[in-house]
Amino acid sequence: MPLIQSLRKNRTLWITLAVLVLLFVTAIQGMSTKDWVVTLLRSLSVGAVTFLVASGFSLIFGLLDVLNLAHGTLFMIGAYVGWTVYIRPDTFVDLLTPAAFIISGFVLGPVWKMLLDRLRLPQRVSRIWPWVGLLLAVAVLLVILPSYPVAFWNVAQYDQSPVTYGFMADQGQRIIPDAASFSGSPVLALIGLLLGGLLGTVSLAGLGRASNSGFESASGLKIPWFSIISYLALILIGLAAFLFNDSITQFLFGLDTTWLFLFAVVTATLSGAGLGAVMEITLVRPLYIRPIYQLMLTMGLSAIGIEVVRALWGRPEFVMPKPALFTGSGEGCPAETLSAWLANHCTTITVLGGRVRVYNEIVLPIIGVIVLVAVWILLQRSRLGMIIRAGVQDREMVEALGINVRRVFTMVFALGVGLAALGGALAAPSTGLSNGMGEHFLLNALIALAIGGLTSYPGAAVGSVLVGLFEQFIIKYGQIGIQLPFMAEPFKPTPPLVPASTVLLMVIILLLLPQGLFGRKE
Amino acid sequence: MDNILEVHDIHTNIRQYHILQGVTVSVPRGSITALLGRNGAGKTTTLKSILGLTPPSQGKVIFDGRELRGMRSFDIAALGIGFVPEHRAIFRDLSVAENLKIAERRKGDLARKQEMIFTLFPDLKRLIHLPGTHLSGGQQQMLAIARALVPDNRVLLIDEPSEGLAPVIIEHMIAAIRQLSADSTVLLVEQNFIVASQLAESYVIIEEGRSVKDGKMADLVNDPQTIQRYLGAA
Repeated sequence: MPLIQSLRKNRTLWITLAVLVLLFVTAIQGMSTKDWVVTLLRSLSVGAVTFLVASGFSLIFGLLDVLNLAHGTLFMIGAYVGWTVYIRPDTFVDLLTPAAFIISGFVLGPVWKMLLDRLRLPQRVSRIWPWVGLLLAVAVLLVILPSYPVAFWNVAQYDQSPVTYGFMADQGQRIIPDAASFSGSPVLALIGLLLGGLLGTVSLAGLGRASNSGFESASGLKIPWFSIISYLALILIGLAAFLFNDSITQFLFGLDTTWLFLFAVVTATLSGAGLGAVMEITLVRPLYIRPIYQLMLTMGLSAIGIEVVRALWGRPEFVMPKPALFTGSGEGCPAETLSAWLANHCTTITVLGGRVRVYNEIVLPIIGVIVLVAVWILLQRSRLGMIIRAGVQDREMVEALGINVRRVFTMVFALGVGLAALGGALAAPSTGLSNGMGEHFLLNALIALAIGGLTSYPGAAVGSVLVGLFEQFIIKYGQIGIQLPFMAEPFKPTPPLVPASTVLLMVIILLLLPQGLFGRKE
Repeated sequence: MDNILEVHDIHTNIRQYHILQGVTVSVPRGSITALLGRNGAGKTTTLKSILGLTPPSQGKVIFDGRELRGMRSFDIAALGIGFVPEHRAIFRDLSVAENLKIAERRKGDLARKQEMIFTLFPDLKRLIHLPGTHLSGGQQQMLAIARALVPDNRVLLIDEPSEGLAPVIIEHMIAAIRQLSADSTVLLVEQNFIVASQLAESYVIIEEGRSVKDGKMADLVNDPQTIQRYLGAA
C-alpha cells in the first residue's frame, strides 16, 4: 500500500524520471555498444565530480542559507593544492612550518575569549587595540615571510614554471629542485612567525568581541585544554617540518606516486576544510543577518581566489600526472579483465568492447559513490547529521534545544568546502588544471541542484548524474551524429550546444516540477 | 514564595517594531503560570525574549538567580529551559525517536526519561519509528512537549498547546501538562481561556506589549469584568 501511495503522491516525479529513462534508451539506440558504454562511464565520471561540488554546495545552502558562489573557486584551489603536494613536495614541506605557526593561533580561540573575558578594558581601548594589533601582526609577517626560504617555482620562467614541472612529471621525470636557504637568522624568523600569528589571532578575537560587545559566555570558567593541546601539536608539527625539512622532502619524493597522490588528495581536502572553517568564522559569520551582502562576499572571494591562483601558479593550463597505479603500459594493456588490470595496472581497460581510462572512468565514479554513501551515513546516523537535518528545517528550534548551531555551521561549511577541494584534487589528473575549471563545475553543480531540488542530498546525486549524462551524450553525438527522423543528414550538435542542453534539461524539469525532482513543496 | 524565573520590565524590538514595551512576569517555582492576552499582544515574543531568540534590549531576565540577558540562546536553553513553540516545530525529516534524541543534552538523557515520557504519552511509543511528517496535529503536540522533557529542564515554556486540536485531545493535553508540572515549573501561553483557567495557578495579562495585570487564576475566574476587558468573550 505505501508503495502505491507514494507512487500516486509523486506522480510527476516518476513520470519525469520515466521519460528521462526513455530518452536515454532512445539515445543509445543509434550507438554501438562500445560507444555507449564508454559515454555512459564518462558521464558517471563527470557526474561524480559534479556531485562532489554540488553536495557541499547544497549542504551549506540547506543549513546556512548561504549561496556560496566561491565554491567553484575553492574546488579549483583544491586542485592546485593537490598538484603542489604531488609534484612539488619540497614546496609543501617548506610551507608547512610558516603555515602551522601562523594558523596555530586560531585554535587558541577559546583561550583568547577566556582571557579577554577576564580582562575588562575600557570601551575605547577595546575598540582600538585589535586594529593596532592586527596591523602590527601584518607588518611582522610582511617583514619575515619574504626572507623565509621556500623552494618555489617561477611563473615567469618557462623551464621552472608549473607547466614544465607538470609535463616532466607526466613523462616520468621528477626534477628535484635545490632547497632554498635562509638569508637571515632562522631562529628569529621562527619566533617572528609565532609572535605574528599569535598577535594576529588575538587581535581577530578582540575584533570579534568588539563587534558584539556584551556577549557573555556560559562556559567562561573552564580551561579549554583541547585547544591548548591542539596548539602545542601544531607547533610541534611546524618545528618538525623545520628541523627535518630535508629528510621529509626526500621521503616524499621517494614515495610511490600512488601513496603520494593519496597524501596530496588528503592534504587538499584538509586544507579545503580548514579554509572553509576560517572563511565561515571570519567572513561569512558577521553577515548572517545580511544575505545579499553574503552573496556579494562569496562572489568577491571567488574573483579574489582566481586572481591569487593566477599570481601563484600562473595562467597557463598544466597537467597533473596520474599516479603509478593507473599508468601501466606495455604487454597485456589495455587490460581485458579486472584480474589482468590488477596484474599490470594499465592506464586503460576494456569494458564491453569499449576502451576506458581506469582512473577517469572507473575510479572517479567509484569514489563518487563512496563519498555519497559516507556523507549519507554521516547525515542519517550521527548526531551531527541529525542536527544538520533538523537545522535545515528550523534553525531557531535547534538553538532553543540548547545546541550551539553556530559551531555546527562552521563544521558544515568546512565539510562542504572540504568536499569541493576533494573533488578538485581528484578531478585534476583527469581534466588538468586551469583557472577556469571551477566555474565550469560550479555551473554544472548549480544546474544539477536545480534539477534535483536545491537542498535535497539524493537530489544532488541524481541531478549530477543527469547533468553528466546530458553533457557526455551530446558531446558523443557531436562526433558521431544523431539520425533524426526529419533530417536527411545525421545531426551533429556543436560544442556550444553542450552546456545549452543541460540548461534545457533544467528548464524542462523545473517547468514540470518547480521544486526539482526531490525538492520539498513549500 | 520564591520565583524561579523573573522577567523584569523587558523591551524587545523586532526589526523596527517595538514589540515588547515593558513586560514583567514572575514565575513561582513549581507552579503553572499563564500568559494571557489577545492575538499579537506579545505573549510569544515574551517567551522568545526569555530564551534570547529575540533578545530584549532593556530590562532583566533572571533565571534561578542568574541574569540571562546578553547570553546566547543555546546557552540559555542549556541552563535548563525547555521550549515548546507555537505550531510545535517538529522536525519533519527526523523520526519520532530522533526528534527526542536530538534534545539530549547529556548522553543517556533519553534512556532515563523514556519510561516517564511513554507513560505520559503512550501514543509516541507506538509511533517511535515514523517520520515527523506522518503525525497528526495532536501527536505532534505530544512530541513537542515530550521533546522538552528529555533533558533535565527546570522551566518549560509552552506556547499555545491547545491550538488547532480536537476537544478530546485537549483534555489529554491538559492532563499531561498538569502531571508534568509536578516536576518542573511551567510558563504557559494560551489563547483558550478555559484551558488556561483549568491549568494555571497564576496569570499575567499582556496587552499591546505591556504586562497590565497579574494575580491568582482563582480570582480572575470570578472577575468577568477583567476577562471581558482584556481577553474578549470568555
